[in-house]
Amino acid sequence: MDERLARMSLAAVVEPGHPAVAEAVAAYGAEAVWASVREQPADVPLAVRARRVVPEELVARTRAAGLRFVVPDDEEWPAALADLAGGEPVNELSGEPLGLWVGGGGHLGELCSSSVAIVGSRASTAYGDTVAADLGAELSEGGRSIVSGGAYGIDAAAHRGCLAGRTPTVAVLAGGLDQPYPAGHRPLFERIAERGAIVSELAPGEHPTRVRFLARNRLIAALAPGTVLVEAAARSGARNTVTWANALARVVMAVPGPVGSATSFTPHRLIREAEAVLVTGATDVLELLSPLGRASPRTPGEHRATDDLDGVELRVFEAVPGRGALPAGEVALRAGITLPRCLAALDRLAEEGFLAQDLHGQWHLPHRTPHRAR
Amino acid sequence: MVEVEAAISSGLPRTTMVGLPDAALYEARDRCRASMASTGFGWPSDPVTINLSPATLPKAGSHYDLAIAAAVAAAGRKFDPAALEGLALFGELGLDGRVRTVRGLLPAILSAAGRGFARVVVPAGQMREASLVDGVEVFGAGDLADLFDVLTGGEGATLPPPAEEPAQERARLDLADVAGQLEGKWALEVAAAGRHHLYLHGPPGAGKTLLAERLPGLLPDLEVSEALEVSAVHSLVGANLDGGLVRRPPYADPHHSASIASLVGGGARIALPGAVSRAHRGVLFLDEAPEFSPRVMEALRVPLESGRIVLGRSMATAVYPARFQLVLAANPCPCGMAGTPGGGCRCAPMAVRRYASRVSGPILDRIDIHQQLRPVKAAFLRHGQEPAESTAVVAERVRAARDRQRRRLDGSGWRTNGEVPGPALRKRLPLPEGAEILDAAVARGRLSARGVDKVLRLAWTVADLAGADRPGREHLHTALAMRRGESGTEAA
Repeated sequence: MDERLARMSLAAVVEPGHPAVAEAVAAYGAEAVWASVREQPADVPLAVRARRVVPEELVARTRAAGLRFVVPDDEEWPAALADLAGGEPVNELSGEPLGLWVGGGGHLGELCSSSVAIVGSRASTAYGDTVAADLGAELSEGGRSIVSGGAYGIDAAAHRGCLAGRTPTVAVLAGGLDQPYPAGHRPLFERIAERGAIVSELAPGEHPTRVRFLARNRLIAALAPGTVLVEAAARSGARNTVTWANALARVVMAVPGPVGSATSFTPHRLIREAEAVLVTGATDVLELLSPLGRASPRTPGEHRATDDLDGVELRVFEAVPGRGALPAGEVALRAGITLPRCLAALDRLAEEGFLAQDLHGQWHLPHRTPHRAR
Repeated sequence: MVEVEAAISSGLPRTTMVGLPDAALYEARDRCRASMASTGFGWPSDPVTINLSPATLPKAGSHYDLAIAAAVAAAGRKFDPAALEGLALFGELGLDGRVRTVRGLLPAILSAAGRGFARVVVPAGQMREASLVDGVEVFGAGDLADLFDVLTGGEGATLPPPAEEPAQERARLDLADVAGQLEGKWALEVAAAGRHHLYLHGPPGAGKTLLAERLPGLLPDLEVSEALEVSAVHSLVGANLDGGLVRRPPYADPHHSASIASLVGGGARIALPGAVSRAHRGVLFLDEAPEFSPRVMEALRVPLESGRIVLGRSMATAVYPARFQLVLAANPCPCGMAGTPGGGCRCAPMAVRRYASRVSGPILDRIDIHQQLRPVKAAFLRHGQEPAESTAVVAERVRAARDRQRRRLDGSGWRTNGEVPGPALRKRLPLPEGAEILDAAVARGRLSARGVDKVLRLAWTVADLAGADRPGREHLHTALAMRRGESGTEAA
């Protein structure tokens, strides 16, 4: 039995996030631990389960489901998961996974190294869905892939946004990948797997449980350099992901929402207690995750098109009425400047699309206010 | 110059005149004979032959009368023929011996002075006009007695007292009288400063004529050389030059029914100057430009290009100066109301388009400024109460701008920005600061290559008016704005 098979067998019997087993594997190797587990007396539950596992059958089921089992020595293994080893347990869970079942065409390590995790409530509002989808799409355009769960709500919105962009996305699930949960998202998972990856710590055939979701959350937090919480009620699994991300010293961000909305509770609380940084869009996220000095410069506040006009242009622009049109001479009178200067300003404003001229040479506002490219 | 000879021979009394005279000139024979006889100077009772030399040149006009009378008298030894040495005579005789005025005296004397004639005899009524020419001693002849007084060493008629100052009608037209129309006035100021041709668009009553006839008032006084050219042309068409040289730029506004001959000049055997020459160094205003016959409009192309007009006729080819500033005015459509809010234009859409395109491209190419005018609204009449700038104030700015141009263009042969051709604008003069604006405008299809030249020309004038040494972005934008909104009339 080789190391990979031993890890796969162990992963099939040990609940994810078992610190003692992970430490033992790290200290003695998977083969030794697997042998020792199988030799335990029958009153040890782990031993009973281990004796029931037929490793060859496991390999066959993995292959049948179109999956691969990735272990820490593999090139595809996300290096960030090493941070899980030796850390303080959260909800008595911790430790680097023994291995991961992975499906899909993407290279897991590469996808995760420049990713952003977006997590949030399953019971999301339309606002949250929009924000998550926009974030997913804009971060994707910014070259980041998305790491999230596979649940309804924010997770799905983030994946869909990313799929509309140009980068693949990674879904981390809490059950066996042969029967991905929730079943209603099977088409979404298939699309994710085309270029991205679906990932689980659990062997094919295993079902998600409450504790497995919590263990899965530590993977999401560990895989991505930063985590964005979009919407979460007071009690939420996403809150647990944030706790993991903070424990792993990841960048934690939260999107604010309407103060009256129940799903805004956790993001606002995190921001208030300095557990998360407030972000309002992909630009903020990219800036927080960029290496020092590499962030794209930010435009402070809302940018109005008229901010770029000089004093004379602004006076001329303000002198043109909101309705109707005026000849240049009248505009010059209203703006209080000479006609030649007024004509020059009118020409510049027309060039930029702020004003238009009718058939009789009179000046008026264009039919649509221009939005200057930032 | 025509030399008049007379010979008295023996035989039956008979007077013949040779040397290709025309009908009016042939009658000079009878005029002179009757006039000499009736005033007691007498006409020889022997055969008289009068020869106009060179004999091959056809001659026309009534101004040879004085010369003929003098020649016949000299042949009859009424006075010493040496008195005719270096003397040129002009004037038409009446039957009572009076000397009448003639057309074209000024150019004739200019020509005589150029050929070395030091003394001239002219009709007494035209002594002031004749004395405008330097280097010529002018004698006046009110009648035949005065003529023979001069020929026998006398002084002739005395200079008549100066006539009443001729009514300077144009000068009284003040820009301050025009209510509102600030852009129109600005366009006029730029046109005056750079001598740019101008096209005024607008419905009836918008003030197109009002503005156009105030343009000459903005132009600076003519220089002496210019004044002589202008006065000579005006003398040819019979203008009274008693007030001295024409010092103010002239103004001609032919009606749109004008023929080619009346516009560019014409006549049966020797062509007389037309409106383009009468507007030389001044303003030629064509109201209702699309109503002019296309052939008449096309006839403007050559003078616009060369500043002169060459008129070939059976007898002679005349070259008249025709360097005028063109001002066109047009309604937007045949009924004039197209595009006026509440105007209710009754023209078919195609008719409006056709009307706008009746002035041909080559003419429009020469026009730097297109200005849209709107009917004056009540609000503008109120503005009219505010003190508007007078012609004197604007003319002073124009004069300063012209000075800058003259200094800059010194030695180039051009005097104003409006005359400088495109290549010279781009190569001879420095490019304005920020000229890349124009490249951008070309790239966006807003300007053609020719449009770039026009904008450059305008920008220089705007800069000259602003007192800048070289146009900047501001001036370019102003020039561009003055060419906006004309896409309906021209692909700029």
